[in-house]
Amino acid sequence: MTRPAKQTNLLQGTLDLLIFKALALGRMHGLGIANRIGQITNGTFQVKPGSLFPALHRLEEAGWLASSWGESENNRRAKYYTMTPAGKRRFQTETREWGKISLAMAAALQAS
Amino acid sequence: MPLPAHLSSLFRNLFRKSGKERELNDEVHAYVRELTGEKVRSGMHYEEARRAAAIELGGVEQVKEAVRDVRRGHMLEQLLQDIRYAARALRKNPGFTAVAMLALALGVGANTAMFSVVYGILLRPLPYPDADRIAVVYMHWLPWDNPRANMSMADFLDWKSQTTSFEESSLYASVGRRFDLTGAGDPEQVSGASATSGFFGVLRARPIVGRTFLAGDDQPASARVAVIGASLWQRRFAGRADALGQPIILNGVPCTVVGVMPESFHFPLANSEVWTNLPVVPPKRRGPFFYRAFGRLKPGVTLQQAQAEANAIGRRIEQANPTVYSHLDLPVISMRDAMVGDIGTPLIVMLCAVCLVLLIAVVNVANLMLARATVREREMALRLSLGAGRGRLVRQLLTESVLLSGLGGIGGLALAYLGIVFLRAANPGNLPRITDIHVDGTVLAFLLLISLLTGILFGLAPALQSARADLSSTLKEGGRGTTGGLRQRTRSVLIVSEIALSLMLLVGAGLLLRSLLRLQRVDAGFHGAPEHILAMTVSPANRRYADEATGIAFYGRLLDRVRQLPGIRYASLSDGLPPDQEGDADTFVIQDAAPRTSGNPVVTVDTVSPDYFRTMGIGLVRGRAFEARDGRESVPVAMVSESFARRFLPGEDPLGKRIKESGPELTFLPFREIVGVVADVKYTGLDANRQAAYYLPYTQNYTRRTFLVVNSSSDSAGDAANLAPMLRREIQAVDKDVVVAWVSTLQQAMRDSVARPRFDAILLMLFAGVALLLAVIGIYGVIAYAVAQRTHEIGVRMALGACRADVLHLVLRQGARLAAMGIAVGLGGAFMFTRLMRTLLFDTSVQDTFTFAAAAVGLFAVALLASIIPAHRATRIDPLSALRN
Repeated sequence: MTRPAKQTNLLQGTLDLLIFKALALGRMHGLGIANRIGQITNGTFQVKPGSLFPALHRLEEAGWLASSWGESENNRRAKYYTMTPAGKRRFQTETREWGKISLAMAAALQAS
Repeated sequence: MPLPAHLSSLFRNLFRKSGKERELNDEVHAYVRELTGEKVRSGMHYEEARRAAAIELGGVEQVKEAVRDVRRGHMLEQLLQDIRYAARALRKNPGFTAVAMLALALGVGANTAMFSVVYGILLRPLPYPDADRIAVVYMHWLPWDNPRANMSMADFLDWKSQTTSFEESSLYASVGRRFDLTGAGDPEQVSGASATSGFFGVLRARPIVGRTFLAGDDQPASARVAVIGASLWQRRFAGRADALGQPIILNGVPCTVVGVMPESFHFPLANSEVWTNLPVVPPKRRGPFFYRAFGRLKPGVTLQQAQAEANAIGRRIEQANPTVYSHLDLPVISMRDAMVGDIGTPLIVMLCAVCLVLLIAVVNVANLMLARATVREREMALRLSLGAGRGRLVRQLLTESVLLSGLGGIGGLALAYLGIVFLRAANPGNLPRITDIHVDGTVLAFLLLISLLTGILFGLAPALQSARADLSSTLKEGGRGTTGGLRQRTRSVLIVSEIALSLMLLVGAGLLLRSLLRLQRVDAGFHGAPEHILAMTVSPANRRYADEATGIAFYGRLLDRVRQLPGIRYASLSDGLPPDQEGDADTFVIQDAAPRTSGNPVVTVDTVSPDYFRTMGIGLVRGRAFEARDGRESVPVAMVSESFARRFLPGEDPLGKRIKESGPELTFLPFREIVGVVADVKYTGLDANRQAAYYLPYTQNYTRRTFLVVNSSSDSAGDAANLAPMLRREIQAVDKDVVVAWVSTLQQAMRDSVARPRFDAILLMLFAGVALLLAVIGIYGVIAYAVAQRTHEIGVRMALGACRADVLHLVLRQGARLAAMGIAVGLGGAFMFTRLMRTLLFDTSVQDTFTFAAAAVGLFAVALLASIIPAHRATRIDPLSALRN
């Protein structure tokens, strides 16, 4: 479990962006977010609790996520996260930034 | 996110922790349940699903800790937690805490105190503007051979007329810095200086009231003026502005007060309070050598340039006065170095010594920490397995060390403060600039730095080691620390260095002690019981006694009265006193002797009354002592010391030879007939060699300040010191304006004369004692720990037939080996350390074999003694229970 943690440390901004993206559909609990990320990245990112929970709490403390307790689809108590309006704005700017960076990176790597 | 939200989350994190913690716990567990449920739905067995979920999670505590790490304020929270935990750990182990704190407090305290002294004396800038531009000009000439001797007025005038390196210079009298102040109010003696006009200008010191000396104030006919210190101004004039223009009488001479200096101004002595103008009267001869010159260098002129110029001037003076100087230098020394004088070496020795003490303290604490780290190995392993990061553990241990050293630092500050109070109160042998010594910000910063470095130094090594500990082997029941062997070796190395450092200090202290004992055994030359001889300075300062005849008559009346008093056996006068109060020293000529080619030597000149030799118990070797018949008008006579006769009249009968004081230039003085030879007496310190002296009768050489010396009958009850009030009354009954000062028995004077070496010895012995104590604690700890570790092995040995003596031998051998290694290393270190001390030792070699041997043997014995307790405990190990455990 140490390895993916290291990987996401390197890609902290990426993880944040993926969490935002997962939550763009609406409120979700921790496992739901992890599963959703796995699904939308075609399994490239398997987010483990050791990196997911710190990221969620960090984003919540920054005011971009809000959390509340609720019932899961299996009638269990679970903690649900949603994006705050500030989080949505952040998501938009980060998406734009990421677009720029990935274009620049792709261009750089293809340059001869 | 707005600031209040930040603050509220910080607040919640720090103070609403339990709610947050519960929620986090619930959240992680909910996640596990959800994950398990998911796996069950995908077809797993419930138990299997739970196991898989737990593995995927990677440990509830670890996840929680990872979340805590990103929380706002978690650093602060952890710090608070660490401090609380550290305090609890230290409280739980009061013995360890007390010893470690004490060791640190001693090390840090002693260092801070010594550093304060060194800083105050050697490093703190002098309180004068651009003080590094001020230089003192000494004379070094043969045959006098004192590298920092005073100069005569004639030498100063020669130098001043030829030098171009100084923008301003001044000459002040370095002899006779005590002034008898009479007139309105009680007569008293105050410290001060008489100086030529440039005195205040060189120092760039300004008065708070009135003026200082003007350019013309040092002419032969100038009116006598006085500048007074603020304290004297308050005392005699209640700080009134009309003090200006008032007369005060200094040494019987009325002077007009022209200015007041601020309280902070003290020069040349720390207690100087009065400065009077020194008229430059063109001198008739070279000498007396009463003066010291100093000046302010012109901008751009270096000390070296001024020195080069002074060398040339010195050569010219030497060539112009071949009968006086066989060689002459004018050393130009920066004022700071001049004020610090020869205190530098002892200070550096003491600084080295306290550094050794600090090193020992650090080593000792490191040792204790290592021992504790071994005991705590399991605690650390447990905390690691419960999710603490290794970095976190190191931080925790460092917090503990820094807390400990912080506490030690506070203790050290208290000790340093007390130490400085003690040093200032003791002021051994007149430490220069003593008023500049106090615990201040710089010293405090130094203290904190030492504390912190110490904490990190002894905290880091064991902490890193603990955090590297191998979990599984440590956690196993009864697991002995895998790093135990390494630690034991580290501790042994530490102990060896501790013993070595202690030995260095012990040898240093031993050398000083031996030197002191030798110094105290030196024969000062008088054989009256020192506790029965009482001396006090008497100065007939009043103008009435300016005339020689009146003054001498006053002394005669005084002696007659004092002799009548009960309990007084002999009463006499002398302007010099053993062991270190030389009244006067001067050159001389012997009639009909071949002129000396190598310059005229300076010898002690003592002006005495006839009974002086009986009062002091100084043996008459030949001829006669002065008698009542040697009056003002009778044949001029002198007596000489044995050394004088041996050196200057070898193989001749000194009696009947005729000598004259003050060199060949003073042709108007009469030759004196030598009537007696007395035993040698030390007047320039017990460690000095100079004992050539000649004596003059008080009736033929009027001195306006002298010692009244009495010998009380040995059967009178109590100390001679009790006679002082009575004598003072008698003197003031003869004349109430006579100043009486400096009252002391010869016993006290002898003690005071070795105050500095005694103080040095006591200080170093104190340090060595602390070092020894710490080393004993250290060696005891190591051996006791080794015994505890080897309980099993010793049990086996005993079960196999080893007797108690064998076990005792086994353990003691370990202690002895450590001690022997430490001593071997320490002897090498001591050879280096004591080389610094050469100038501090009297008649003792820096490699004194006896001291080295005694210190080594003593330390070895103490080290063995420290291992005997654990060794004895080892012999009582019950083989059965040792094997069972």
